[in-house]
Amino acid sequence: MAGKSSATPTTYSPSLSGQKKKRPSFLTDSDWVRPDGRGPHQCRPAFLRTGAVNSASGSAYAEFGNTKVIVSVFGPRESKKAMMYSDTGRLNCNVSYTTFATPIRGQAPETKDLSSMLHKALEGAIILKSFPKTTVDVFALVLESGGSDLPVITTCASLALADAGIMLYDMVASVSVSCIGKNLLIDPVSEEESYQDGSLMITCMPSRNEVTQMTVTGEWSTPKIHEAMQLCLDACSKLGKIMRSCLKEAASGPQD
Amino acid sequence: MRGLQLSLNKGQKLRLDRALERLESLSSKANSDASVTVADNISVDYEDAILKGHGTAEMDGRVVATLCGVVERVNKLVYVRTLRARYKPEVGDIIVGRVIEVAPKRWRLEINFSQDAVLMLSSMNLPDGIQRRRTAVDELNMRSIFEENDVICAEVRGFQHDGCLHLQARSQKYGKLKRGQLLTISPYLVKKRKQHFHYLDQYGIDLILGCNGFVWVGEHVEVKDDMVEDLSNKSEQQNVKSWNMMGDEEVEEIYTPPETRQNICRTANAIRVLSTLGFMITVEVVMEVVNLSISLDLDIHEMLGAEFYVIVAEKEAERRSMSTKRR
Repeated sequence: MAGKSSATPTTYSPSLSGQKKKRPSFLTDSDWVRPDGRGPHQCRPAFLRTGAVNSASGSAYAEFGNTKVIVSVFGPRESKKAMMYSDTGRLNCNVSYTTFATPIRGQAPETKDLSSMLHKALEGAIILKSFPKTTVDVFALVLESGGSDLPVITTCASLALADAGIMLYDMVASVSVSCIGKNLLIDPVSEEESYQDGSLMITCMPSRNEVTQMTVTGEWSTPKIHEAMQLCLDACSKLGKIMRSCLKEAASGPQD
Repeated sequence: MRGLQLSLNKGQKLRLDRALERLESLSSKANSDASVTVADNISVDYEDAILKGHGTAEMDGRVVATLCGVVERVNKLVYVRTLRARYKPEVGDIIVGRVIEVAPKRWRLEINFSQDAVLMLSSMNLPDGIQRRRTAVDELNMRSIFEENDVICAEVRGFQHDGCLHLQARSQKYGKLKRGQLLTISPYLVKKRKQHFHYLDQYGIDLILGCNGFVWVGEHVEVKDDMVEDLSNKSEQQNVKSWNMMGDEEVEEIYTPPETRQNICRTANAIRVLSTLGFMITVEVVMEVVNLSISLDLDIHEMLGAEFYVIVAEKEAERRSMSTKRR
């Protein structure tokens, strides 16, 4: 997530944990110990499954620690708006949060931002020419938001697209890194995101070695950015392998 | 995670696995390790001039897949076929669809394809059967022929230049389907055969296997051929019709006997079980399953239970092993 605090909630809530916490001063110099005991360059274990939603053309469920996302893909289907002929297909993305996804009920980040960022991340990987005049709809539902939401949504959406049989140039894997003081932490949790000085998210296609989206927020020095990018790209290629094995399992698992 | 969610107990799970194993061993899988995911390399002999078909792309001189599926090779053509393929229409396919919109001079139908199909008013027989030019009055009365949410059987006439599908329903066997059930199954389970309309006379029901994965099971309707009709018969019918000008629809509302309804439900459940197991849907297989359920004295709703599911899988495994032994 791009660490922006949402507007002050209009209903009274006893704890103001929506805003950035005042960091305890001893942390600025010493190393940050991660709450779940991971090393700073260690990602959370990933649980990926396809075929979660029966009625959709393709769907996937992803669980990265406490972040749980379900994505369903519909299409290619008739686009009502585009009565004009267009020789490329259209992609329509929608991200929504359940009310119980965040620790405070109903306090979800701006889903319009997330929807358009998901769109930008995916449109580079989909071969739009293969379904002219029709639309592919991607609906992402975040069941629990435990940090690093948008990378998990993007990864899950790319699995769901592959499950739906839509032509892709390559799988899309996404990882984010956050910077706290002098520490670079990969795949941050929500607590780490609330303390971060800056965040970098990269969405790339591992086999093609191409980046579809890069988002940088906060303060970064040049050597730190280089290091963070390298970390992300390595993690993305590993994530790509995990996604592939998940798809192969799904294909070979249920016979007939 | 897909399909019917059945809770199988241990014994049933064991039997089901064994039956599926037998079926797998019987089927000949020449290229069982040719499954690919997106951006996987496809092994080709680069000396040969190969044709890159659907689902392939070129990257850095190598041939990679753009879909997740199985690699198929036909002579020089290499393509990737997805496991849950979408319906691919061809000219002459029999299709069952549902009307979603009545538009000027055409009906739009949903047929489980990426776009909606179009049935032109001119590709449809008028109710009085006369061949004539469609006038504005005909256009205004389109709703009396088909309305929204009607189920229609038609044939693919061709494609437009932009990929839109055109249907025609000129024969008497096509048209509105009434008094039955519409089932949705995966399109690849219905192979293209010579006959898609089946009349199960011992049950008195019609079975229409649409190539797009929509299957209609309904009460049998006598198909009247326009050409062969006697002139005298026609005048008789016209007299009867003129008496019942007001309640046309009500007169034709005949009562469907409960046995026929039960048979329709039984056949529909048989098709549901077969599609969940992933077997090809043909008349013979459906009839076998229905007879099996009758011989086992099962209630209609028990057909969707776990026990019948396992029994059908076992019987199919037996049947296939018998047929391979005979060969």
